[in-house]
Amino acid sequence: MARQQGWFALILALAIAAGALLASYPLQLGLDLRGGSQLTLQVLPAGAIKTVDKEQLEAVKEVLDRRINGLGVAESTLQTVGNDQMVLQLPGEQDPSRAAKVLGTTALLEFRTQKPGTEQALRGLLALKRQSEAVLRSKERRTAEVNEPPTAPGAPNPEPPPDFQADELADAMRSMGLTVPAGSSEIDQLRLLLEVVNSRVVDLFEPTGLTGKDLVTAGRQQQQSGAGWEVTLGFNREGGEKFATLTQSIAGTGRLLGIVLDGRSISEATVGPEFKAAGIAGGSASITGNFSAEEARDLEVQLRGGSLPLPVKVVEVRTVGPSLGAENVRTSLLAALSGLALVAVFMVWVYRLPGLVAVVALSLYALFNLAIYALIPVTLTLPGIAGFILSIGIAVDANVLIFERVKEELRQGTTLIRSIDSGFSLALSSILDGHVTGLISCVALFALGTGLVKGFAVTLGIGLLLSLFTALTCTRTLLRLLMSYPSLRRSTYFLPATQLPGTAA
Amino acid sequence: MTASLASPPPLRFFRISRHRRVAWIGSGVACLLSLIGLAICWFTPSIGAPLKPGLDFTGGTQIQIERACDPGACSAINGQEIQQRLARISLPSEAEEQAPNISSVAVQVLDQGQSVVLRLPALAPAQSAAVIEEMAADVGPLDQAGTSVNTIGPTLGAQLLQGSLISLLVSFAAIAAYITLRYDRVYAFLALLALGHDVLITCGVFAWLGLLQGIEVDSLFAVSLITVAGYSVTDTVVVFDRIREQKSLIGQFSLINQVDVAVDATLTRSLYTSLTTLLPLLALIFFGGSSLFWFAVALTIGISVGSWSSIGIAPTLLPLLSR
Repeated sequence: MARQQGWFALILALAIAAGALLASYPLQLGLDLRGGSQLTLQVLPAGAIKTVDKEQLEAVKEVLDRRINGLGVAESTLQTVGNDQMVLQLPGEQDPSRAAKVLGTTALLEFRTQKPGTEQALRGLLALKRQSEAVLRSKERRTAEVNEPPTAPGAPNPEPPPDFQADELADAMRSMGLTVPAGSSEIDQLRLLLEVVNSRVVDLFEPTGLTGKDLVTAGRQQQQSGAGWEVTLGFNREGGEKFATLTQSIAGTGRLLGIVLDGRSISEATVGPEFKAAGIAGGSASITGNFSAEEARDLEVQLRGGSLPLPVKVVEVRTVGPSLGAENVRTSLLAALSGLALVAVFMVWVYRLPGLVAVVALSLYALFNLAIYALIPVTLTLPGIAGFILSIGIAVDANVLIFERVKEELRQGTTLIRSIDSGFSLALSSILDGHVTGLISCVALFALGTGLVKGFAVTLGIGLLLSLFTALTCTRTLLRLLMSYPSLRRSTYFLPATQLPGTAA
Repeated sequence: MTASLASPPPLRFFRISRHRRVAWIGSGVACLLSLIGLAICWFTPSIGAPLKPGLDFTGGTQIQIERACDPGACSAINGQEIQQRLARISLPSEAEEQAPNISSVAVQVLDQGQSVVLRLPALAPAQSAAVIEEMAADVGPLDQAGTSVNTIGPTLGAQLLQGSLISLLVSFAAIAAYITLRYDRVYAFLALLALGHDVLITCGVFAWLGLLQGIEVDSLFAVSLITVAGYSVTDTVVVFDRIREQKSLIGQFSLINQVDVAVDATLTRSLYTSLTTLLPLLALIFFGGSSLFWFAVALTIGISVGSWSSIGIAPTLLPLLSR
């Protein structure tokens, strides 16, 4: 008897602890339940590296972590999966394209100096670049205005749109050696032209050995003219020295300093003759490129995060709207609760008193389960909830096995207490076998499965382990405790009188 | 006490050995139909696989949008119009890759024309944003909160399929090893046979569903198959456990008698257990929403078949093989 009370105290303490745990640690909901975006990124081998290993994956993750923090999405998580993949979760984010862009690019920043004797060629290219950019921007703005309400008050008034004269664009494209793709829109043509012009511009510059690696800080500020944003840079000592030398070498020559990001020219800066003596010293500089606030921020994030050691590709994107997520929570909760209620009614109807005990044990089982989810923590997803609902079914099975044995013993005329004892001991080997085989599949699923499958295996596995505990301990303790009250010690509370030996015959 | 028994103990319900031919024929026909379904799927050019693979395995982009208007206020969306419209838009190209051709987009209209599911080749985020923009211009305004975009790269789909198959085979092997250890090789073989029977019929039903209703299987289906396998073994092992127990109680009678007694004694348990497992699943089918509907259906079929095989197939084959 004392032993029973000890167990009962333990169960009670666990239940209280579980309740307290649930109250203080909220359950974590997966993106399919709360809405948001999930991106799977694949790290690609490049250059001398033929296969990606754990260490390189971690290095990429570190850089991406910094970039994501820069994006300012609350509660984002980045986890590595396998040897070459990462899963990024952005709760609440409905438009993953910006994140994908910032994450996927390698962002190699280089400072280059213009090659001597290219002044003429560059002037022509830059003029074409400025014009194409201006035309493209005004065209894009006009397309945007068709779809969106007019820009917020205070935004700079669009200047009278510059434009190419008829055929001028086609001429420009021809001069770059491009053929106009049939049926392409003007905006697409402009983008193509700009791309080629950009690469021609980059060709006129030579690398200097000063790259983003020498960068310590990156920031952004509004340009003094107020027209746009600029990105500010701070170099380390070595970088500062390199920067001073290279600015000195071109100061006053009319040659330009090119700032190249991922092989694309972002900005070409003049260095005034006043720097002839010592170059731009002090280790800081700024990139002015008429950036919008958002562009400046993205560039800053890319620069600050440093360059990715290996390229990254987005291979999977899942976006779930918040109302769809809430709907999923609502329906699966309803399913879980109604499923439990149906099982409870069934158990009490078929097994009477022990059925009632089983329902209490099952409720404890559900409580412990949720508490463990909060403790580990397990992020609840749709398959996870499915695993949980299924594990309820298996937890009930353990009780059914026991009570069926108890009934059999009673039918054979064994006394009640002995029937209960042998019910538990006879059912034990079946229960064990069932749970062990279930756990074997969970382990295989967890070890070899991916994503969804893993979430399912975790919740089902926890469920199986707990159901072993609740069926063998909670049900038994509660039943024994009830049997210590003589008024409850009646066989008819376990089996209809018609099935008991002696009364029916 | 056992020695004094002159005849096997009386049965409460029925003698399974009397019905075993019916059970075998029933299961044989079901397996055959399943195999035929899988074969037809395989040889159907538009499917080309035993089961119609979904987005998770083929890769691609699925975009679901919901209109932001009161029911009845907007006219229903016309799927064909959307198809034609999407075929005409040009997607922004991504990196050096050409934008995929989306002339063959599959359009599924839901909720009386208030919601649409588009199935496209795998798109980059900016490209799917362009598609959503186009849809907003076409049938907008859209309910941002009801939008979902899933993109799965083709390599990831293949990886998922491979991962699911490997985990399935490994768990089979591990379960077989466990049963051989606890019981006997014949038991392990029969448990795997029953498992194969259950998985085959579940797959067969979905092959026919794919053929007749266009239902596709996704990674959740792989999860359900593995669950059915685990459940099937559990269910079979409980009966085997009882048969082994009979050996020590009524070992003087034939194995057929022992099987009859064991099946009869575990019959209520088998039925009750599948019923209590099916109750939450039925709740999932009726209240669980679209996301888990087919998952619950697959489990319901698999668990029902699993109960059947653990009563009618695995135990009745035991006397045949144990000579």
